Amino acid sequence: MIYLATFLWGWLVGSLLLGFATGWIAVVHRGQGVTKKTMRWLSVLVAALIVAALTRIVPGRVGYWLDLGLVMFAIYLIGCAIGSWLRELVVSRQTAAS
Amino acid sequence: MRGLFRWSSKWWPGVIPLAMLWVAAVWTTTVPLETDLTARTTDALKDNVLDKTTISIAGRDVTFSAEAFSEQGRSSALASVEAVPGVRLVNDQTALVPEAKPFVWTAQREVGKVTLSGSAPLPVVRNKLLEAARTTVTGIEIADQMKLSRGAPPRFEAAAALLVGQIGKLKTGKVTISDMTVNLTGMARELGGREAIAAALKNLPDGYSVANEIHAPPYIFEVNKDPVAATLTLTGYVPDNAVHAEIVAAAGRKFFGEKVVDKLKASLGAPANFASVVTRALGSLSRLSTGTLVVSDREVNLSGDALYDAAGNQIRTDLPKDLPQGWQAKTEISVKPAAAQVDATVCQQLFTDLLAKGSVRFETGRATLDADSIGLLDRLTETALRCPTATIEIVGHTDSDGDDSFNQTLSERRAQAVVDYLVKAGMPADRFKPMGYGSAQPVAANDTDEGKAKNRRIDFIVRQ
Repeated sequence: MIYLATFLWGWLVGSLLLGFATGWIAVVHRGQGVTKKTMRWLSVLVAALIVAALTRIVPGRVGYWLDLGLVMFAIYLIGCAIGSWLRELVVSRQTAAS
Repeated sequence: MRGLFRWSSKWWPGVIPLAMLWVAAVWTTTVPLETDLTARTTDALKDNVLDKTTISIAGRDVTFSAEAFSEQGRSSALASVEAVPGVRLVNDQTALVPEAKPFVWTAQREVGKVTLSGSAPLPVVRNKLLEAARTTVTGIEIADQMKLSRGAPPRFEAAAALLVGQIGKLKTGKVTISDMTVNLTGMARELGGREAIAAALKNLPDGYSVANEIHAPPYIFEVNKDPVAATLTLTGYVPDNAVHAEIVAAAGRKFFGEKVVDKLKASLGAPANFASVVTRALGSLSRLSTGTLVVSDREVNLSGDALYDAAGNQIRTDLPKDLPQGWQAKTEISVKPAAAQVDATVCQQLFTDLLAKGSVRFETGRATLDADSIGLLDRLTETALRCPTATIEIVGHTDSDGDDSFNQTLSERRAQAVVDYLVKAGMPADRFKPMGYGSAQPVAANDTDEGKAKNRRIDFIVRQ
């Protein structure tokens, strides 16, 4: 894992920044979110992919691509969470000030 | 936490650029990652001894195929690959190097080429043997047809290296190790090659048995007696300086009228009993008027002209009989045409001339003719045959050493021994009169060894 992080750090940082930006915007975004049902399906899909990656049943290059995708997605979610949390802090401080 | 869950429903728009980022990452990192892992895997295996190693990488999965020389080596190599950081799965296609039974290794020597074939236990041993072959036979093509196998006998490397060192001594041939048995066949480059190889093989590691079928060029010793030039030419080989001196000395004693021309060279490889056989054969050659003696390995070839019929027959019969077991004699003896008859005075002169060049010798204190005098005796016999009507007194003399009566008897018995020799040649006994004077008629002073030697003599006195 350390080897992958060292080798792919640029792409992982990119995913983190992308997640951070998305999370930052999501707090004040007025558009439609994903429905609970879709969210559940998506969670099941991601869980299945994680199981496939952990059990290493996907061979060769595709297996590597799956690992890469899941790692980038996980870091994207972390970026989103950090972004949304920080933005929420900023928004609530502004509301309290006004 | 609830807020985080609420916001997460709005995180989806970023997934689209994330997917694009992922595609870009897949596009740009797959090949470099595979290259990097290949290099790391190869590096991790550099201390493992393997054959036919191939590493192919798809993503982070390694397909590792190799032949190991032991189960321990195989599992250790596999563990090294599995421990490479970044490797996800190892597809194990390793196997053990096939076991050779029997374990056969061969070095074949041709005139312009050396071929190493059969099995070698390890790559490093194979390379060492090739290097040893290059050092041994410089400037000759070395062909490597060795394959790697398990099951080598103990101390194989030492045994094979020693044998590679011997191929330089071969002209053509083959050296084989089959388990613990070493076989050598072929022809040695030089005289003594077989012996040199046999000596080197004594250093083979314990437990190896050897069948040495190396042949060497024939070991040739040649003597040519030329009566016109009055020379005795010795050519060919003798085993060492001691035998050399012994043979030259024997030639000096047996050939009293010829100059010995010594062109002998020392070399290993002489057959057993060489010196005694050559000395014996020189005795037969000394009886010929002209002739050649060739000793080739264990075969004695004597050709030439005997001085008279009986001598020819004796040489033909006695020489093969006197050789040690394993030796062969081939004689081509003809008889020199009888010389013209002469009268008693000339006959006496011929006897005197012959006895001035050499003297009939006996074993010390006995009346047995010395084998070295046989050539002279044949010449005396030939001379006696030239004056068939003459009566000849054979007179024995001794030096002054010892008792007078003993010397008297000894001189008479010695004279009789010479008469017996002449009679054996086919002449009537009544032509010869043996006489002995003991030490009564010295021709030199008896106070020096030289003088005594002159006094110990046989005289031939021709009577009408």
